[in-house]
Parts: sequence; structure tokens; C-alpha cells
Amino acid sequence: MIDAARVERREFIKASAMAAASAIACGTTLALPILGQEPGSTGINWEKAPCRFCGTGCHVQVGVQAGKVVAVAGDKNAEVNKGLLCVKGYHVGAALYGEDRLTQPLLRQGDRYRAISWDDAINIIADRIEAAPERFAFYGSGQWTIPEGYAAQKFMKGGLSNNHIDPNARLCMASAVTGFLATYGVDEPAGCYDDFDACDVLIMWGNNPAEMHPVLFSRVIDRRSRGDEVLLIDISTRRTRTTEACQHYLEMKPHGDLAIANGIAHLLLKNGTYDQSFVEQFCNFKAPDDENPNLHGKLISFDKYRQQLEPYTPEYVEELSGVPAEKIRLLGELFGNRNLKITSLWCMGMNQHTRGTAINTMVHGIHLLSGHFGTPGDAPTSLTGQPSACGTVREVGTLSHALPGGRVVTDAEHRRQAEHFWNLPEGRINPQPGYHTVAMWESFCTPTNAGGDIGTIWVQVTNPGQTLPNLNKLFNPKGNARAGLEDKFLIVSEVYPTATTQLADLILPSAMWVEKNGVVGNSERRTQQWFKMVEPPGEARDDCWQTIAVAHRLYERGLSGMKDRNGRFLFEVKDDSGTPVPIWDWNHYYDVNVDEHLFEEYRQFTRLKHKDLAPYSEYVKARGLRWPVVEQDGEWHETHFRFSEGFDPYVADGKGIQFYHSSTKDDRAQIWFHPWVPPAEVPDDEYPFMLTTGRVLEHWHTGSMTRRIPELSRAMPGAYLEIHAQDAADLDIRNGDKVVVESRRGSLELQAWIGGRGEPPQGTVFIPFFDETLLANVLTLDALDPFSKQPDYKKSAVRIRRA
Amino acid sequence: MDNSNHTKRTALIAFVVLSIAVVGYFTGLQSPVRPTGDQSAMAPATNLAGNRSDEQAVLPATAYTDMAEATRARTSWTTQLDGLKNNVDLLAEITIQPADKAAALLAREARRAFNGAPPTIPHPIDQLSDQACAACHADGSKTPSLRIPRMSHQFLTNCTQCHVEQNPTHMAAALFRESEFAGLPAPTAGARAYTGAPPIIPHSTWMRSNCMSCHGPTGLHGIQTTHPWRQNCQQCHAPSAFLDQTQLDREIDFLPPPPVVDESTAASPNGSQNE
Repeated sequence: MIDAARVERREFIKASAMAAASAIACGTTLALPILGQEPGSTGINWEKAPCRFCGTGCHVQVGVQAGKVVAVAGDKNAEVNKGLLCVKGYHVGAALYGEDRLTQPLLRQGDRYRAISWDDAINIIADRIEAAPERFAFYGSGQWTIPEGYAAQKFMKGGLSNNHIDPNARLCMASAVTGFLATYGVDEPAGCYDDFDACDVLIMWGNNPAEMHPVLFSRVIDRRSRGDEVLLIDISTRRTRTTEACQHYLEMKPHGDLAIANGIAHLLLKNGTYDQSFVEQFCNFKAPDDENPNLHGKLISFDKYRQQLEPYTPEYVEELSGVPAEKIRLLGELFGNRNLKITSLWCMGMNQHTRGTAINTMVHGIHLLSGHFGTPGDAPTSLTGQPSACGTVREVGTLSHALPGGRVVTDAEHRRQAEHFWNLPEGRINPQPGYHTVAMWESFCTPTNAGGDIGTIWVQVTNPGQTLPNLNKLFNPKGNARAGLEDKFLIVSEVYPTATTQLADLILPSAMWVEKNGVVGNSERRTQQWFKMVEPPGEARDDCWQTIAVAHRLYERGLSGMKDRNGRFLFEVKDDSGTPVPIWDWNHYYDVNVDEHLFEEYRQFTRLKHKDLAPYSEYVKARGLRWPVVEQDGEWHETHFRFSEGFDPYVADGKGIQFYHSSTKDDRAQIWFHPWVPPAEVPDDEYPFMLTTGRVLEHWHTGSMTRRIPELSRAMPGAYLEIHAQDAADLDIRNGDKVVVESRRGSLELQAWIGGRGEPPQGTVFIPFFDETLLANVLTLDALDPFSKQPDYKKSAVRIRRA
Repeated sequence: MDNSNHTKRTALIAFVVLSIAVVGYFTGLQSPVRPTGDQSAMAPATNLAGNRSDEQAVLPATAYTDMAEATRARTSWTTQLDGLKNNVDLLAEITIQPADKAAALLAREARRAFNGAPPTIPHPIDQLSDQACAACHADGSKTPSLRIPRMSHQFLTNCTQCHVEQNPTHMAAALFRESEFAGLPAPTAGARAYTGAPPIIPHSTWMRSNCMSCHGPTGLHGIQTTHPWRQNCQQCHAPSAFLDQTQLDREIDFLPPPPVVDESTAASPNGSQNE
């Protein structure tokens, strides 16, 4: 099958070589200059790296002088950001230099810590794993670089035959994944950032890119300064900076998005403005299978689809969503107009949703139904929040059910392929999916004798003590002496003290960003590479080394899982002369480029789902490349628009659009119907407000890095409660007053900010989650989407009073 | 007669009211009332950790009784309307002492994490509107009491993407943790080929394409140009292709020199021909 695809691709390229359009369709990998040493006496060396923070994947130029990062500039050769950054990106270099960097391994002794050697630390971890390999879990991140995630994945699933590995991205984009899988049969967006340059209409679904993805948002709104007309529509539960740039603000009730998507589909069918030819050629219709709920549901007829949408008139949608019927009609007219290019944009609003899978498929669905798909500017585009949520979590598959390259542990053929690439004996990989994030932490926080069968968790590159929902249930019991969790052991690899290290039994100091080599993958399928530029402080070491060092310690102790079919160490790396390099010894870790070795091994996995990656050396030259990256006559070509003929080399000639990983095996995508359902928790007399949580521009996620950057910390010092002026007046709350916010799960005392950064409507309040001393997540609900297992952080009922 | 008097009196009252309103309006425009004399928006944000206070949640408004005091505290109080617009004499002689330059660079440093970082905002901002930024910073201005820098780059819509305020009004400013980041300092001067030669531009011109934003009449005195009447800066001052990231992906090379035969080692061309 792979070979057949190769041949097809070759034919495609031959055919298209004659077409003038091919030059534009397939970007060529350019060797972009790395600046290097600045001329003159300054002694500054400039090198490229992707920014450490969000999933946009901006490239920065990092200025290094005397072994320290001293300056950062936007990279003008980067297509993503074209030389521009946001305030976090400009200050990313300072993230390395907070005064309280962790610099030595620390072991808990009662309520204090004792500095220990790395050797002891590795032994302690090996002891825990050896004593009960099946009770060990690895909790990772969308900030794991691709090699880090790949090493952890191989260590767990290939080495320990243990599938209890899951990332924080489960909390972030799991519903986007299930949405793509249910619709196209394969994960990740078909479009790319080029859509922002071409769209006539940009619809943001519960998304605030002006603050969260500012470089991408600017790419759209700056077009107006050049005279372009772009219609911006904000569908949201709260006014934000994004709203200010939009022509239309559609304020919806929580879960109103489900009704709005159905309302649009209803109008497209009723007015006959859906794209009949597109639908007949490329789409099937599906609905949930209530008797046997599963991700792929059941096929339904077009008539049945139409019939189920019948009730969703603009007036009924207004009733459900709070958005005026005339605005629903406006959306219906826009989607019904084939002359417009429409891009939909979403991130946490649609993903952190107890019907996240449903709403993701529905937004894909209205794009497919209306034919707004597959050409530049016509795209449903899902954004990610972490630098490698796509590259590591989704592609390497560091999820409890997944194997690299879009494979799953439940598929015997997929397991066999992974065992082949890893040179493992047959049957090494466990066919039973492990615990997803919420289940993993629930098990960890449950006493062993009460069925809590996870005994040890190793956390890398993330901060669950701040980001898990319902912290008083899923994390905080670890710190409670009466919780019966004495035998549980928490290992945390971190760069700074956090809410997670606070309860850790063993803290490992990690290297970060340009203190190590790295490869990541951004929201538009772009894989990006950088080299180590400065030394980590003290004894801080790479996360990837930590994993390999533990694996080797277990190998030394004779744990059979750490050996491949030929008895060799799982992570054996040979130098050019064919001699194994002792990479588990820190003094030799950088004797070879371990990243490159792991990446080249991982690359074999990427062909199955046609997410082909180029050799490591190609990424060294480029500012990232969008997969599939395919070779033709010694040149590597990236792909801008997937499934679309003329852009995607895997689409067969004359097909136009080909969903070649269709779950129905007929090259068709699935248009889903899902009914509107209310949120998992709705305000009532006792808890009359709806709490929504999120980020602010200045801070990235839990603020452990950005709050240590003075310019950012000064701009946004701490968390606050956003509340509508009338609600505040009714509760006798003035701007700056201390208020108590209580949910059924916890309470929090913080200041009110009226008319501030955002403006929630009456009945809704907002708290940002970046502040580690004011944890929004003691309040949030741990209800999950049934398919993605992603929690909903946006809809928790709370009550409020003056402190 | 009565009617006429009445009209005159009304006109007089209206005139007085209007005059007060006009003077008051411009006074107000020029002199934002601030709670204390030292909280000038021009003051660099230093030692903010010292300002940390749980009580000071919101910047307190000036009490009506303190307003006269607060007004008097401003040193450069003036009602001259001239100061509101840029009445710049382009031909006035400008002398800059080394100390002025040092002071200007220090003032710039206070607002930037490193040379090339976007400057932070020293005054309260409208949380939502970019129009509010453009209203003043599109053209820039200098009045006796305020200097409003002009944008150094072309208009980019999402201002707060890069520029963030440092004395937020909604919450006491506080450093969360001290940072050991030592940012790249600003260059003090561009290199000259010889005394009297125009200095090259020592910084990137990317996002600093409008030279007059910093070096023009609304810039800080210490880094002002001494010849503002000259309009084409890069006619004399060369930018750095390196810093502007405009290098090409190839070795910059020249044609080889003419191949001159080395007489000492080469055989005589005539001799070889003869053989």
C-alpha cells in the first residue's frame, strides 16, 4: 500500500511538472541562512529556534553572548511569523533566567527536600518501576519535543509493555483529534496558515486569537491596513480583544455552538445553497449510534440528515443559543455563498467541551456541506496551544491508546509494525489501552487498597498540579496526610518550582528550550528543529536523557523489556564508526546528536498515514516544513493543503478532492449530525453563575515561565475575577474588591475586575488559570467528552459573594 | 432697550463661561491629574517589587480636595496652546552632550528587556481598543509635559500583542520572581570609517523603519539627529544586512583576479612553442 502510494505520487509529480501551478502548489525546501556570528566586536551569535511557547510555531533568532541568551528577534525568513512575534516571544529568552531555576535533584524527606546525586535519583526511579512496572505511569506533554516524546513512548509501550502514558494535551486538543478522525478518518488540519492570507470571512468559534495566537490574528487584521476587506465574526461567550476587531459579535450561551452549527446546516439545506456536487462526490452522512456509542457512529441517508436538522430553524437556534435569528441567517448566507472564502478557527472553546468531538465534527460538517473546503482560504482550522501538541502528542502518539504514526495499540497489525520498527519480540506491546489523563490521576489519588492501581507517576514538561480540572479530587489529595496515599510516589522533571513540584517526592532539574536540541510540530503540520545554544544551569539535564538513563539502569539490572529482539539496549545509538555511544552517561550524551537518531528511527512510522517527514538534515536548513514532505529528484517538497489535488501529492489525478484515509474506505469525509444538549453543569439557584476559565496574552499556560519574566509579570501580575458591572452592583462588589468564588468542588478568594481585559455577559464570570497561588482549577468540573476523554474547563456553576 | 441689555448680559455670561470652558478644556488636556507628583508616566518602571501591596488593589483616584495640590505638583504647567502641536524648528541648532546620550539610552533601557525588545507601556491603557493607541502614537507629539513617541514601524493593528503596560491599574504591580536575565544593551554609537564619516546604523532597521520616531524631534534629546532637515536618512547611514536578516543563502563572492603568469616559475611561452 505504501509502495502503491509512492508510485502514485511519482506519477503525480511527473504530470504536474508540466503545470505551471505546481511551482506554487509544492513549496520547495529552501536552505535558509542561519545568521551565525555577528560581524564586529559584539561577539553575539544568532541562531534559529521555534519559540518555546504556544502552538503557532513562530521562529525566533536567538542572540547568544558569552554562553547566555541576551536578545531575541523575530525571524524574517520564517513563513509562520514573517519576522513578527508577540510579547511573550520577544521575551522568551528571559524564561531561562528566573532566579529560582531548579539545579539539582531533590528528594522529599518529610516536609523538606534533600539534594541528591543524579545517580541516586535514577536508582530511586528504577527501584519504583522494578518493584511494580504495571503500577507506573508516565504523564507527559505537548511541550515534549518529538524525540523526548518518542523516547518516553518507546520506553513505556515498547520497553515496559505498559500503556499508562498520556499527555497534558488530553486536556487541550483531544476533542480536535477525535473530531478529525470521525470526519476524515485521519488526524490534523487539511489547511494551513496560508488560509489567513486568502480568506474573505474568518469565523472564530469560542476563540480569542488576539490574545492566544496574536501573530496569526495580526496576519488577518493587518490585511485591512493594506486595503483588504475581511469579515471577522466572533462567536463567543464573552467579549474579548478579538471581539473589538470583529464586525459581528455573536454572544452565545454555553453549548450554543451546537445549535448554531445545526442552524447553519439547516439553512444551507432549506435554501438549497449547500454544495450539491461537493457533497455527492466527497461526503457521507453520519449520526451517533446511541445503542453502541463509538467514534464512528452510524451512516445515515441524506434525507435522514435533513430530517434531523428540520427543527433547527433560526428562531429555535436563537432560543437555544441566545444568538439572534438574524445573525444565524447571516451565517447561513455566508456559507451559502460559494464566491466567498471562509475559514473557521477554534481552539479551547470547542475542545474543552463535554460535546467536544460533536462540535468539532459539526464545524467540519458545515464546511463540507457548503463546499468551503480544500482551496486556500476555505478551511476549518483547529489551533493548538502547545509547541508540539501536534508533533509529539498527535504524531508520535504519546496517548494511552496510541502508537507512533497514527497507530493504535488495539490493532494487531499496528502493534506488529511498531514491534518491527523497534526490533522487539512479537507480543511485546500490550493491546489494552492505558489510563487517559483524568483516569490516571484519579487512580493515583485513590488509595491502593481502594483500587487505586497507579502507584508512581513521572511527570515531564507539564504542571498538572495547576492544570488538571477539579484539583481537590485529581491532584491535591496527594498532599493530604489523611488521604491514605503514603505509598504513592510522584516524580517531577521541571525547570522551576510549581504547584506540581510542591507535592513531588522526587524533583529532577531539567534543561529547557535552547539548553537542549529539539524538534517540535506546530498547528499547521510544520515540523521545526533547533540546536542547543547554551548550557543548562547547575545539574539540570535534558528530559530525554533522563528517560534514557532510567531505561539503561533497568537494562543494567536485567529487565528484559529494555532489550530488543537481539538483546541490545532499546536506545542503542552508534557513532559513525559503528561503536555504541554510552548516551545514558550524561558526559557522553552530546557526543552524538541523540535527537537526530531518534528522529530518523521515528520517521519510519510516519508513512502509514501519509504524514511523511523529511530527514533531520532538511529541517536543520529550513524554518520548518509542513508534512507530508516528499522527495522528488533530491528535493524535498512540503504540502500546503491536504486532500486537495494540485497541492497534496497523495491525491490521485483527476480526483479533485480525495479523503484517502476515509473511515468508510470510499475516499469520502463524514458530515455528522449531533443534537443540541445542555452543558454538564448549568447554573441554578444555589450556584447561579457560569464560570469560564482561560488564558491572557501575557502568560502562557500556568505562567511558570512567563511569570518569571519581569515585563510580562508587571503587565499581568495575578489572577482576577471578570464580572459584569450589573452583576457586581447586585452583589455590592466594587472594582478591586476581594470576592469569594465557590463551586461544588472548591472555593477561591480573589479580586474582582469590572470592565477589564474581557467583558462577560450577565450571569457569566471568567478567571484566568495562570496564577499558581489562585488556582482556577479548584473550581472546575471534571466532566469529560465521551470519546476524547477531554474535560470541560469552560462551564462550571459557581456562586459569588464579597469576601 | 431692556431686551438689548438682556441680550448683552446673556452674551457676556456666555462669553465668560465659554472662555473658562476653553481654558479649562486645554488645561485638562495637557495636564492629566495624577495622584502624586512622582507617578509621572515618564518615570521609568523601577523597583516595582517595592510597590507590592495587598491593599493597593486599584490606583486610587485623586480626592477633590487634593486636586489643587496635585495640579501644582506638576512642574511644567502651562496654558500655552502652542505646545500641543509640533512646532518644530527644523533648522534650530541641536547640541548633544555625551551625558544627554547616556541619559537617553538609560531611559530607553528602562522600558526594554534588551536591545530590540518591544518597549513596554508606561501609562494605563484601554484594555480593548487599538484605536486608543493609534490616536496618539500614529503621529507622535511632544508637549512641555509629555513626549509621545511615534510608532517606529508601519501600523500594525494588534498593538497589545507586543506592547504591554507596566503599571496596570487593575492590580498592584509586582515582580513574581527576580530574573537573572541580562539583556543585550543598546549600542552606544554606530561605527565610522573615519572622523567625520557618517556612522553606520548599529541596530536592525526591522520594526525600526521610521528613523524619526526615535531620532526625530519627538525622540529623546540624547539620541536626536543634529540635522533633522535632512529627510533621507539611509542616503548616508548604511543599515546592516546582517542585523536586518537580509543575507542571501550563498557565499558572497567576487570574480577571480586576472590570471597573471608567474614569470619566475613558468616556462617561456616562446620556448615551449619552439619545441
